[in-house]
Amino acid sequence: MTEASSEILMFQVGVRVFAAVVHDAVRIGSVAASPPDDLVCESALGTPFEQTRGIVVSGDEPGTERVLVVDQVIGIRSVPDVDVHPLPAFAAACLSSGAVSGFVLVDEVPMLLVDLPTLVRERPGVPAHEATP
Amino acid sequence: MPDPNPQAGAEGAQQGNAPEAWFFCLRLIGGRYAFEAPLVSEVVRLGPLTRLPAAPSFLPGVFTHRGEVLPVLDVGQLVNQPAIPIRASTRAAIVHCGPWKVAVVSEGVEGLVAIARKNLEPPPSESSGVAEFLSAVGRDKSGPIAILDLPRLVDTARARAVPAGSSHA
Repeated sequence: MTEASSEILMFQVGVRVFAAVVHDAVRIGSVAASPPDDLVCESALGTPFEQTRGIVVSGDEPGTERVLVVDQVIGIRSVPDVDVHPLPAFAAACLSSGAVSGFVLVDEVPMLLVDLPTLVRERPGVPAHEATP
Repeated sequence: MPDPNPQAGAEGAQQGNAPEAWFFCLRLIGGRYAFEAPLVSEVVRLGPLTRLPAAPSFLPGVFTHRGEVLPVLDVGQLVNQPAIPIRASTRAAIVHCGPWKVAVVSEGVEGLVAIARKNLEPPPSESSGVAEFLSAVGRDKSGPIAILDLPRLVDTARARAVPAGSSHA
C-alpha cells in the first residue's frame, strides 16, 4: 500500500527555508522578466538578499499574476501527508500573518508551510483581507 | 525525556480542603514561579526551534515533540523582561490552558512543590509586569515563590497578539 504524500516547493528568503504547496505556484521565473508592479519583494517571510528569482502566483483578478521574490528556489520534494501539520492553535491565534498555514516535518524539524496566494496579497503587518482593496 | 511526573501531585492539588496545595515550579526571569500542577502534562527539553514570521516576541517559535508541533511561550518577553535564553539544555513545561497547548520555556525546572495553604497570601497590588498575572505568593522550605494564574497569562498573551484576520476596531 502506497503512503499518501504531497509535493512541496522549497525556497529560501534571507537565511530561512520555507515550503509551499507546489500547485500554488504557476511557474518559477526571473525577476527581470516580470513587470515591477507585480513584484512582492517584502513579505511576512522577510526581505530577500537578492532580487533575481521569483515564484509566480495567480493574482486576485483572472489573468493577473504576482511574483514573490526569493533568494533561491531549492526544488520540489515529496513528503508523506503524516508529516504535514496544521499551525498549533495558540500560534495561529497570535500571528499577524495569515500566510503561515502549517508545517512540514523535514528530518523531524518543522519547516513553515506558506500559503503563497495569501502571502502575496498581504502587506507586511497587515492581514490579507485588509490589504486587498 | 519527561521529568518528574506531575500526575501524583495533580491529585493533591485538586483536593481543595487539603492542608497543602500542589504547584509546579519553574525558574523564570530570575525568580521561582509556580502554577497549578494539573495544568502541566510533562517537562521536555526543547528541540530545534523553528521561528515564526510575524510572531510576537513572546512566541519565539515552535518545535516538535513526539511528532506534534508545539508553540513555545516566553513569559519573560510577555512581561517586558529579557528573553529566556534558549539552549540545547533548555527545558519547558507543556501546559494545557483551555483550548491552548503551549510549552512554557524556563530557566530551570524545580518540579512539584507543596505549599501549606496557610502560607499562601494575596499577591501585591501592582498591576504591571509579572505581578499582573499573580494569583498568590507563598513560601516553602526553599524560599519565596510566586503563584501564576497561568490560564489568564496565556489568554492575555493571545489577546495582546494581533492575529491574522482580526479586526482592529
